[in-house]
Order: sequence, then C-alpha cells, then structure tokens
Amino acid sequence: MSIELKDVSYTYSKGTPFERQALNNVSVSIDKGEIVAIIGHTGSGKSTFVQHLNALLKPDKGMIIIDEVDATGKTSDAKAARHRVGMVFQYPEHQLFAETVEEDIAFGPRNKGFSEDEVAVQVKEAMRFVGLDYDTYAKRSPFQLSGGQMRRVAVAGVVALNPDYLVLDEPSAGLDPASRLRVFREILELHKTRKIAIVIVTHSMDEAAEYANRLLVINKGQLLYDGKPEEIFKEHSAELRQVGLDMPQVYNLGEKLKANGLNLKGDIMNTKALVKAICQAKGWKNAK
Amino acid sequence: MIKIENLKHYYKDIDGNEVKALDGVSLSIAEGEFVAVIGANGSGKSTLARHLNGLLVPTEGKVTVNDMDTMDEDRTWDIRQSVGMVFQNPDNQIVAAIVEEDVAFGMENIGVPSAEIRPRVDKALAAVGMSDYAKHAPHLLSGGQKQRVAIAGILGLEPKCIVLDEPTAMLDPQGRQEIVATVKSLNKEKNITIVYITHYMEEALQADRVVVMGAGKIQFMGTPKEVFCRVEELEKLGLEAPIAAKVASELRKCGAKLPKDIITEEELAKALCQ
Ligand SMILES: Nc1ncnc2c1ncn2[C@@H]1O[C@H](COP(=O)(O)OP(=O)(O)OP(=O)(O)O)[C@@H](O)[C@H]1O
Ligand SMILES: Nc1ncnc2c1ncn2[C@@H]1O[C@H](COP(=O)(O)OP(=O)(O)OP(=O)(O)O)[C@@H](O)[C@H]1O
Ligand SMILES: [Mg+2]
Ligand SMILES: [Mg+2]
Repeated sequence: MSIELKDVSYTYSKGTPFERQALNNVSVSIDKGEIVAIIGHTGSGKSTFVQHLNALLKPDKGMIIIDEVDATGKTSDAKAARHRVGMVFQYPEHQLFAETVEEDIAFGPRNKGFSEDEVAVQVKEAMRFVGLDYDTYAKRSPFQLSGGQMRRVAVAGVVALNPDYLVLDEPSAGLDPASRLRVFREILELHKTRKIAIVIVTHSMDEAAEYANRLLVINKGQLLYDGKPEEIFKEHSAELRQVGLDMPQVYNLGEKLKANGLNLKGDIMNTKALVKAICQAKGWKNAK
Repeated sequence: MIKIENLKHYYKDIDGNEVKALDGVSLSIAEGEFVAVIGANGSGKSTLARHLNGLLVPTEGKVTVNDMDTMDEDRTWDIRQSVGMVFQNPDNQIVAAIVEEDVAFGMENIGVPSAEIRPRVDKALAAVGMSDYAKHAPHLLSGGQKQRVAIAGILGLEPKCIVLDEPTAMLDPQGRQEIVATVKSLNKEKNITIVYITHYMEEALQADRVVVMGAGKIQFMGTPKEVFCRVEELEKLGLEAPIAAKVASELRKCGAKLPKDIITEEELAKALCQ
C-alpha cells in the first residue's frame, strides 16, 4: 500500500502573469507505515507537494497513484482512494466549517455511516488526541477560538476520519510547547497501533530529526534529498544551510560545545543523546 | 508608552456564555522596550495584543497608549498610527492585489508623502527578503511569504510600537532568524517598542522582558534570565525552557553541579568547558 507520485509537475496560474512552476518532475513513493518529514525553504513547494498526495491538486504532468489506483480519475475507486488520505492544511481556518467544534469533528465519521453513538465516541477520542477538553470546547464555535485551539480542532477533524495516510502541513505551527509534544506523542502512538503512514511538513529540523524515519528535502519545486533524517543532516549540513534550512538546534548546540573544547562523541540529533554525550565526556552518571 | 490596568476581556460564545479571555492583567511597557509574551494556547496572548491598538476594548479596566485611552474613539486613529500590528494569520491582513501595493497601502492610509513611499516599500521588502516578489500577487504566495509581506507592510509604517503575534510560526529556520534580527534592529536602532508573542522560547530570549501568560492572567514576568530559570513552573504552564536551560536541568539530574541561571548556549558552553 502506497502513494506514488510519478514525474509530477505543477504550475500555478498557468497563462497569467503570475504563472509559477511550483513542482518540477517529482517522483516519490510513500509506503504505509512510514513517518515522513518534509522540509524546505519558504515557497519551495512543500504545500503544493502534499496537496498532490490526495490529488487535491491535479498535476499538469505525471501521475498520482494511491494504493494502485490512478487517483486523479473520476471513478469511485479513485474517489475512495483519495478519501484514505487525510489532510490537515497549513491554515486550519480553511478547513473548519461547522457551527460547533463537535459538529466539525463529527462530520467525517458521520459521513462514513457510523452510528451516532460511535460518532460521539470518535469525536471524544479525537478531542483527547489533541488535548482539547470536551466539556469546555465541544459546543463552542470553531471560529471563536485561539489560533492554537483552531489548529487542534482541524487536526482532530482529520484524525477522526481514520485515514490510512495522515498528511499534516505544519501541524505544530501555533501550538504551545506542551501541545506540540502531545500531538507528536499521539501521532506516534496512532502510527504504532494502526500502522498508517504519516507525512508531516515542518519548519522544525528538531521535529524532523526526532520523529521521522524518512526525510524529504524540497528545494525550488524539486526533491533535493530523500533518505534517513540523521544521514541527510549528517552528510548535507552545508547544502541544507544553503537552501535556507538548518541543522537541528540540539546538533548546533553540540557543535558549539565541541568547538569550546568539550570532547563529545558521535552525531547528536536529539536532547537525550546530547545529555548522554556530555555526561560521558564529563564522567557524570547518566541517570535515566 | 503603553499602560494596561486591571484589564479584563470577556468574549461571548455562540450560546451567549461568557469566555473569560483576560482576567485582570496589569502591565506597563516603556518606550523602546522589547517585551516578549509567552503562554499556552488560549491563555489570552492574542486578545491582549488586540487591546494594544484598540482593535478590542476592555470589558473592564483600562488601556492607554501614550496617555490616549483606547476607549476614546476620537483617538483610535492616533493609536493605530502609533501601534502597528502583525497578526497570527497573514491572510487577515492582505489587502491589495500586488505585493508592493499591499506594502504601500498602509502608508498611503496614514498619509506618508508619496515621494517617501517608494523607498520605504523597497526597504521594507528588502528587510524581509521579499524584494524579488514586489510585483507578485500576495494571495498567491506561500504561507511564509505572505507572513513576510505582512511584516513589511507594518515595517513601512515605522510606528512607535510594533505588536507581532507569532510572526515566525510559518517560517523556515533562516526566515525565522531574519525576522527576529529585523525586529531586534528596529528596536535597538530605531528605538521602536516591540511586543512579541511567540511559542519559541529561543526567540523570547532576545527580549528585555518576558511576560508569562496563563489562564488570562500574567503568571510571572521578568528578564529572560529570571523567567527561564523557572523550568518546572514553565512546564506546568504548557511551556518549556530554552534548549540550553533544558539541557542544564537534565545534567543536574545526572549529578552535575552547574550554575542555576544557565539559559543561553554560550552560558552552557562556558559552564561546561571551563
Ligand atoms: N495559487 C497560487 N498561484 C501562484 N503561485 C502560487 C500559488 N500558491 C503558491 N504559489 C507559489 O508556488 C510556490 C510554492 O508554494 P508552496 O505553498 O507549495 O510553498 P511552501 O513550500 O509550502 O512554502 P511555506 O513554507 O511558505 O508554506 C511559491 O513560490 C508560491 O509563491
Ligand atoms: N472570538 C472569540 N469568541 C469567543 N471566545 C474567544 C474568541 N477568541 C478567542 N476566544 C477565547 O479566548 C481565550 C483566549 O484566546 P486568545 O486568542 O487570546 O489566546 P492565545 O493566547 O492567543 O492562544 P494561541 O496561542 O492559541 O494563539 C481562549 O480560550 C479562546 O477560546
Ligand atoms: Mg506551505
Ligand atoms: Mg494567539
């Protein structure tokens, strides 16, 4: 089971002065069970790319194949395939629509024909997932919430769809630190129990290094790198900086400590590893 | 410059119930100060920000900008001219069909002489790295590009105070650094007062003072050092300490004896490498 993009190119506003090629010959296959992070400079084409994963945007050239079905087609198979891809957009306001938070999240499960009792269970579960208290927020309007609360409703609405492929465009933007941790913990849990694919666009190199098992780097509408996060970060730090990206913050901190004479071993991509390496260098016991 | 006295703000939800977004906030911001505001989702940061230029007015309490009461409708114009605002979502502030017109729009509105507009637009776009996009349509830009245009629009106004509500939420690492550097230089070189809302603790480190919001109230505030040493209290409020403080705190758990007040990477390096 996979989503395959084959030689996909996409140009916005074709034939107008604003014409802009946003994807240029991108080929990639994302399997069920993967956790893929996508990074790239502002305007590099990340959002355009992920909107091809459910064929929301139709490529000018190339093909989108979801679970072996040509997803751009009009057949009911194609439609069903597209629906197995859940998408949280970069701006959550764009996908909120109902009168209350509860109704908004219930829309997907209800559409799939679940009974009202089952819908209620799924709404509660999705709200728990994003850490929104049911009693406080269920009856509120999704449009009269804080920025971070809105994003969480949008994430909950898509999680409630039970997608096979969960695509999130900058899900942690606007979330406070505790909610960021929470949402990622829940996403990993969901991934583990349901073996779905997770695709996350992020501007945080630390999130990419910490959570993903595959990293796609997009630059000027093309796939620059595709591989394991630690390897890409390790091998291409100079190139990443050149295209507006960076190394994970912990890595930079580790390098700074090394430059100051601390003898740290290995490539340090997360806080735990950094603490461990410092303890080793200093001869402190690394209490767990 | 800005004085907030016992500010309360209650919204009404769709059933007419009161939502207490701000519940007694008092704060004075001096001219030329750089204040960062942090706090969990829903703690009242954006609501507070909207009071600073009269977009919202108090349910109770008082907000004054250079001694002008935001409740005084005759002063709304002057207040908006003094305090510029960059919103959480840039879509809400794009008005024109071409980027440079969008940036010029605000200036025309406040009566900047037309000869001055052109150079100011160019400078503002350069400051946010969007000069190449001057002739583009803003609504067709990517998320981060829109945010930069929105910031340029406010920069061009050269207000006395700029309020930025999560301006870097959608930016890549370098874009984020550029915006923070831009804001900092406006503060240092032009003495523009900055109120900077963020979920990124490293950005808050750059401020003179950090205000920590929780449940509609100021929980505590102080210099970055005073605030970010309180790692556990921050975590209870849904926040975190900057990375160096977090690492230092973990190292102490391993028995390391480190100074209590490490919050920057330089300080951590110094403590570990002497
Ligand atoms: N509707 C549109 N019409 C014309 N050009 C567009 C449109 N939407 C996006 N673009 C352009 O296509 C390019 C890719 O945009 P995209 O939104 O995919 O970038 P992104 O990598 O998601 O950026 P960000 O990190 O800022 O969200 C950008 O240069 C952008 O200006
Ligand atoms: N238009 C509105 N109507 C009713 N309640 C609202 C409205 N806007 C915000 N609220 C509520 O007021 C409280 C404070 O919201 P505010 O937007 O100020 O939070 P915030 O600190 O900016 O959060 P975030 O980090 O998510 O942006 C929240 O509980 C929110 O649900
Ligand atoms: Mg995007
Ligand atoms: Mg807000």
